[in-house]
Amino acid sequence: MRRKNINIWPYLLVLPALLIVTFVVFIPVIEAIFMSFQSYDLRRPDKIAYLGFRNFADMFSDPIFWLAFKNTIIWVVFGVGLQFLFGFILALLLNQSFRGRGIIRAVSLIPWATPGVLIGLMWKWIYDGNYGVLNDLLIKLGLLDQGITFLSQTSTAFGSVIVTIIWQGIPFFAIMILAGLQVISREMYEAADIDGASKLQKLIHITIPSLKNVIIITILLRIIWVSNSVDIIHNMTGGGPSYSTQTLSVYIFNKATVLDLGYSSSMALFLMFMLAMVAVPYLKNAFKER
Amino acid sequence: MKRLLTYLLVLFLPIILVACVSSNNSTSTEGTNDSQDNESTDTEQEDTQSADEPVELTYWYWADNSEYSNLMQDIIAEFNETNDKGITVIGEEYPWDGGGYSETLFTAAMGGGGPDVAAFKLTSTPLFTANNLLAKLDDYIDSWEDKDDIEENLYDIMKSASGTDNLYVMPWNTQVLYMYYRPSIFEEAGVEVPTTYEELLTAIEQTTMDTDGDGNTDIYGFGMRGATGGQEPWGSFIHGRGGDFEDMTSKEAIQGMQDFIDIYENGYAPPSATTDGFNEIIANFKSGKTAMTVHHTGSSAEMVETFGDDVSAFAFPEGVGQWTSMGDTNNVIFESTEHKEAAFEWVSYLATGKGQEDWTIATGNVPVSTRVQEMDHFQNDEFMKASIEGVPFAGILPIKDTTTEWISTIWPNTTASALLGEITAEDAMQQLHESLHEE
Repeated sequence: MRRKNINIWPYLLVLPALLIVTFVVFIPVIEAIFMSFQSYDLRRPDKIAYLGFRNFADMFSDPIFWLAFKNTIIWVVFGVGLQFLFGFILALLLNQSFRGRGIIRAVSLIPWATPGVLIGLMWKWIYDGNYGVLNDLLIKLGLLDQGITFLSQTSTAFGSVIVTIIWQGIPFFAIMILAGLQVISREMYEAADIDGASKLQKLIHITIPSLKNVIIITILLRIIWVSNSVDIIHNMTGGGPSYSTQTLSVYIFNKATVLDLGYSSSMALFLMFMLAMVAVPYLKNAFKER
Repeated sequence: MKRLLTYLLVLFLPIILVACVSSNNSTSTEGTNDSQDNESTDTEQEDTQSADEPVELTYWYWADNSEYSNLMQDIIAEFNETNDKGITVIGEEYPWDGGGYSETLFTAAMGGGGPDVAAFKLTSTPLFTANNLLAKLDDYIDSWEDKDDIEENLYDIMKSASGTDNLYVMPWNTQVLYMYYRPSIFEEAGVEVPTTYEELLTAIEQTTMDTDGDGNTDIYGFGMRGATGGQEPWGSFIHGRGGDFEDMTSKEAIQGMQDFIDIYENGYAPPSATTDGFNEIIANFKSGKTAMTVHHTGSSAEMVETFGDDVSAFAFPEGVGQWTSMGDTNNVIFESTEHKEAAFEWVSYLATGKGQEDWTIATGNVPVSTRVQEMDHFQNDEFMKASIEGVPFAGILPIKDTTTEWISTIWPNTTASALLGEITAEDAMQQLHESLHEE
């Protein structure tokens, strides 16, 4: 009987990366899972104990958690949805031939290349109710008498931070979709022209189906990143006023920074499951061979 | 089989090589380890016999601006040059970041990467002592020649913050909050400096003005701080009606909150007040947008630079009760340091030595050393006078394990809800009370 020949090279080559991922990702995640079942609050180190599902029960009866949950849904739906819409339009524009296209393509990437902390600070000053450039423009254009305190009112604060994340994410969508656009065969458009297809028909029947995989993976990545995004909100409003801009990731961050690690871990676990519930079926269906 | 053996050899060869190199290194560093052992022995000797072996201390601090940053580096340089015990302090500056400094310090100390000595706020004491991070200073202070140069009550406040009878925090300087005001605006509004809480509320109303007659407010009476840190001036309003922090649900405390809400709702504070922090209230005051705002002497130099004689100060006036917040900046020595005696030399230099003079004169903070307090510089300053007038009724928020979260997120968000009319003063005070005093 012939013995099975085991090739161990692949395992050896994967081993270093696997070890790094284990120490940097898996172990902290497992530790966070353990913490979520404990009263792991470093302000009360003498009271750390196993709690079972108490943190989760507290979480589901916490009105601030539900407000943050609702905000997260709005943040992701509007944030990612509008990033996709405007990113798509930008990609179509950048795919046209015009003078200075290279420069425009490079410049349009700036928001994506700017660190989130800087974006937060920059937009905070743009929106500033007393000295912000946005109010200044609106007043000079005669649209306002007095400045609007965009980030100080619950009615305007969340919309303002959503505009900021949209501004940041448009180039990412644009560049991914642009890359996808450039591999679509010209012949398909030529064939459609011969058949007398309109521009809209070509968009719906050629461009969008050809970009399906790019769009799916880009939207999925942005859903995960935007859900977990803390830097912009933290720098612009800290989650206020009156918790109106507090998403789950900001709430987790705020709880973790006051060292209530058990409660923040349980919320992080919940967010992880929510994202997995979106990501797994989404990927499964999206790439299913038809 | 032959191939498997080859693979195993390839796998183990690097491990063997690494082991050989490590072995060489450990041999070659034995000398170094020996010297480290010697150093730790020397440290023990230093702690017990004050031997003058060179000692290096890492000191963490924050500075409110680049001028103070340079000042601290100068103080450190002078200490390093003048101390005769071979102590070298290495100053490492971290941003205050609305209290984020304390979190950074805690995380570093828990992870074993903290400094030997650090600037410190009292509110963090329970967290650090609960995790056994701070060195007890009682013995050092009892045998310290300058012990009586610092008021006994300051030591008591430091002790009460830890919730024990031990002293973990070395006083450095205090900041007593008072009201800055613009005499020219008061004159224009026909308002005298308020001497009672009721007069203050009236002054806030009367100094809110539409100066150009376009129907929009140009000057707001009070530069309200709704972001983190705003709980300090807010506390003065609560006490002004006779309330306190122990029972924030009392009708007096609720009335104080209602006064605070009324100032905002009636348009006597800028609409951005719900999220205004330190930078915003100072910018609003310096740009002439507000007539009054609460801060301490840390801002007095830049106020004078902006307005010259057209800025002055008064202590928060008395109502049914009277209170103002005593900010504190202190120093702590970490339990993990091997050079506690040298560290005490450094913190005592800042508390009563030349470091105390240099820092408090330049920053305008209130000195803890009575010798320094008596210097002409402090006796002739109107802002310092307002601070000193506030000392008898100055206090601090109850320091509990809930205080940090209460200050950083609960107070700003709950107060914003009340200011924006989403909840009543009573509901807000109920929430604030429960979250601060929860067990």
